[in-house]
Amino acid sequence: MGLASASTATDGMQLCIFDLRRGQNEGQELDKILFFFPADLPFSTQLSVIGLSEGLITFTRIFSPEAACEVIEAERHSHVFYEAETDIWMVMVVEKGKDSDAIWRIDALRKVLKEVHSLFVMFYGSIRAMLEKDPSGGLIRSHLYPFIMDYLSDFPVGKKLQLPSFRDCLKERGTVQMLTMGREAAIEVQSLVSVLDSCAGNSSSYSMILFHDLLVSTTLSPDDTINLFTYAALRLSPNALSSGVNSWSYIRRGSTSSHFVSGSALTHSGPVSEQIYHSSDTSPVGNNINRVTRALQHGKWYKGKDGFLVTDIWGVVVGSLVCATPTVWLQQTEEAMYLCPYQFKSLTLILLIPVSSILNGEQGVALVKQQLLENASLKILKVEEKLSKGWGGENAYHVSGYRYLLVDGDRNISRASPPGKVTTLAKESLLALSKLRDEVDLEKSRAKRDNAGCEKDLEVSIRAKNNAWAVARITGGKELYMVLEKASETLLYASDAVEKFSNRYCNGAFSLD
Amino acid sequence: MSTSSSSPSSDEELIFNPNPIPKPIDDELTLASLTLTESNGNGSVGESDRYGGAGVVLEAEREGEREGPSSPSSSGYAGERGSSSEGTSNSRIGDEDDDGIQEVINDHDGFVDGVGDSSPSPSWVPGKRHVDEDDASISWRKRKKHFFILSHSGKPIYSRYGDEHKLAGFSATLQAIISFVENGKDRIKLVRAGKHQVVFLIKGPIYLVCISCTEESYESLRGQLELLYGQMILILTKSVNRCFEKNPKFDMTPLLGGTDVVFSSLIHSFNWNPATFLHAYTCLPLAYATRQAAGAVLQDVADSGVLFALLMCKCKVVSLVGAQKASLHPDDMLLLSNFVMSSESFRTSESFSPICLPRYNPTAFLYAYVHYFDADTYLMLLTTSSDAFYHLKDCRIRIEQVLLRSNVLSEVQRSMLEGGMRVEDLPVDPLPRSSMPHRLSQQRILTQSPEIFSESIVGIGGPTGLWHFIYRSIYLDQYVSSDFSPPISSPQQQKRLYRAYQKLYCSMHDKGIGPHKTQFRRDENYVLLCWVTQDFELYAAFDPLADKAVAIKTCNRVCQWVKDVENEIFLQGASPFSW
Repeated sequence: MGLASASTATDGMQLCIFDLRRGQNEGQELDKILFFFPADLPFSTQLSVIGLSEGLITFTRIFSPEAACEVIEAERHSHVFYEAETDIWMVMVVEKGKDSDAIWRIDALRKVLKEVHSLFVMFYGSIRAMLEKDPSGGLIRSHLYPFIMDYLSDFPVGKKLQLPSFRDCLKERGTVQMLTMGREAAIEVQSLVSVLDSCAGNSSSYSMILFHDLLVSTTLSPDDTINLFTYAALRLSPNALSSGVNSWSYIRRGSTSSHFVSGSALTHSGPVSEQIYHSSDTSPVGNNINRVTRALQHGKWYKGKDGFLVTDIWGVVVGSLVCATPTVWLQQTEEAMYLCPYQFKSLTLILLIPVSSILNGEQGVALVKQQLLENASLKILKVEEKLSKGWGGENAYHVSGYRYLLVDGDRNISRASPPGKVTTLAKESLLALSKLRDEVDLEKSRAKRDNAGCEKDLEVSIRAKNNAWAVARITGGKELYMVLEKASETLLYASDAVEKFSNRYCNGAFSLD
Repeated sequence: MSTSSSSPSSDEELIFNPNPIPKPIDDELTLASLTLTESNGNGSVGESDRYGGAGVVLEAEREGEREGPSSPSSSGYAGERGSSSEGTSNSRIGDEDDDGIQEVINDHDGFVDGVGDSSPSPSWVPGKRHVDEDDASISWRKRKKHFFILSHSGKPIYSRYGDEHKLAGFSATLQAIISFVENGKDRIKLVRAGKHQVVFLIKGPIYLVCISCTEESYESLRGQLELLYGQMILILTKSVNRCFEKNPKFDMTPLLGGTDVVFSSLIHSFNWNPATFLHAYTCLPLAYATRQAAGAVLQDVADSGVLFALLMCKCKVVSLVGAQKASLHPDDMLLLSNFVMSSESFRTSESFSPICLPRYNPTAFLYAYVHYFDADTYLMLLTTSSDAFYHLKDCRIRIEQVLLRSNVLSEVQRSMLEGGMRVEDLPVDPLPRSSMPHRLSQQRILTQSPEIFSESIVGIGGPTGLWHFIYRSIYLDQYVSSDFSPPISSPQQQKRLYRAYQKLYCSMHDKGIGPHKTQFRRDENYVLLCWVTQDFELYAAFDPLADKAVAIKTCNRVCQWVKDVENEIFLQGASPFSW
């Protein structure tokens, strides 16, 4: 019943969600489990993973009541913890060294957990709220299972889950990537945004504009922006719609064509998953399992004739053939919003309209859409043209000689060397930077705990065995990570290269003078 | 004796090979454990107890309980000032500076921190503090760095804080965690929670655990657990495993009874002794000729059947000689000198004690003849023969005569007072490689007084903001560390700097991809520069505002300086160490 024996059968990864408030009596332990991947593991194994997690949460609270267990490192596995909501824990177990790429940066894995949870909340509200709605747990299980399985299906390479490893050390999940544009284009965009604002009347609607997979403008709060941006890049952007032919996006990883998870694990319906995840048939809610909206389902968004993106994920309006408009929850306002994406060439506009402001449902939404087409079409055309003209292609942000990641923690923005360029780096260089980032992650979290408000200031340059420089600079809430493979021998030369980069591309944020 | 082989033999062979011939190990263990319970040893060994290392020492400890390593000279290791800092203001500014209770309780740190500010608790036991605490006490939970040793059945063997017996439940919890993970065919290494790290080290039937919020890296803490285990092996040998084979519920505490002080002194040294993470030893600075004289007489005795002969001053080596092909690992030297220095009885009488060198041969006892020439300087003669006491005593007398005749002991005293390399003395222009005797410092100020530790004196360190450095020679397995001077003056600042070095060392020597070649690190406390080559490693700390280019130049000057005085600061031409 070992963890290891179980995980070897499952691509070396396990993911579970459990509620510490449930199943406290003997014999009811299964009640705790809200989600477990892979679902066909014997319950005894599932319970042993959760038992260890729970045990260590309790144990670490003896010494560290304010922050319980974050990670367990064992010789063959890392267990990454994330307390998504009070007493609701997500734990991911990854196997180490199974292949040469199985070297993980813990913080990157934790951000995967955070991301899937944030997205879930955006579509369905909090896990706790759903548990309160249906204390049997059937409702939440029937929602979590397809959602997370769909989410995981974005990580495949062949038949395996390819989680972010050291090779992804020049990426930062949970941030948005912005398009840099000229002044003229910015003015056009600004005017388009104000038109969008007016489309939904005077109610508190929001908009977001993307060009390819890059953010052009947003009127949402930072957290909501990240969630919606992530979703858009995963499922709505032109690249996502064209089903992963082109995969240069910063967010989407790999091709989405092989739906190995949804193809195999999801549809496999052994007695196990029947029991846990399909139990809602008998639950008080009585929802048919088929009614659960799979917000992250692949290949379900289409571009309609009018340019609006539609999906039948949210079902069809009763008595018509019209697809129901999806709704999302905003974190900041805790308000339900209609999600109306519109696409013109590489430009994607997302309009969010408060559900409460539209009295007659789909009809009202259609009216708003109509208004948008009438009022904004021209502007959209113009903006698309301007942005296309200035667009440098997928290597637009490549800086020759540098492989970098720039993170603005205060604004949740990142920019990085294009993935295609990063793959040219030697494994040793990437490993050196990944390890350095591990160290920096620790220092950052310490600084955060010790003196909230006081920013960490740090500069590290390491010359690795293969003579590449791995560089990290943290200052004023901004972070710069860099690998320089051809920066000659001296520290001064490497520092100089960083300085030049900082002056040229970061407004001197990382410059010393 | 079966232990004279020069290479550390594989323990597995000795333990699992049922071959009955090399049996003495077991006997020795029994002997050692017997003497622990018997009140006295074998009278035939003169005034010393034959197995006093673990036996009599323990008794003596009860008087010497408040005795840390003796007061500091300008030796640079102000961290040694265990006892002397007792009454001084251990004002805890940054909580990372202390292993005691975080923030809450104003209490003393490290070696002597059991002595409450005013009222020593009546239940106080040597080497162990806060013995009245257990895992239910808030104060216990808030200690910044716990160390535990337990058996695989969950029986407590050692705890840095609190009474082992009261911690049986806690110990069982640790055991449960370890075995839970082991049931899954895995082995737990680390748990991280907020500021806290729980580090596990599994050594056969012995489990070691550190729970710490000191910000040290996992690798550092794990290294410390390795040393703690080594210290236990030094006292008992690895054959203790056999007891667990025979009886999994075997209670080891009586075997180690009273050695708390050895462990707590080792744990304290993690704060101030760079040897604990550099895996190298350091020498007392001495004129080349003086060290040669000491080496020559040690070599004489080594030729007469002594396996290792070490002359040390506190934790620094004066000279060291090994029998042909025998080599001594720096970690063994650290553990041995810690054992000797922390055990009061060695100071008061010549002793002959069974010890084990875990890196040399973890399964067998050697015998250590220990004699103090003065308060700080002591001789250790190691042999494989259990009845060599009188021979070694004769050797010691011979050595003592020569040392006195050639003024070695007074030179040692002088060096203690003068201290070692000081950053202020870094030559501006490296002189040609003349052999000016004792050129460590050009204008030594001998008037250093304890005020140097007060914050009122604001020093700027050496030229170009150089505050401190450690140079480790890879071939020699030795390091030299500059003396502390302002602004790195308080023990807290020194501990913080050592921890920064420790982190840097671990970062440079990453197991997967290390060693790196160069590292430059600037944070709010320091600029740290590390340079690893085939010949040496340099760790240097500068003012956080130091200029990069100038710092690099300064590092080059430090390396040149070290080369210029290497005959004085390093033990040259010792038997080649080839581990």
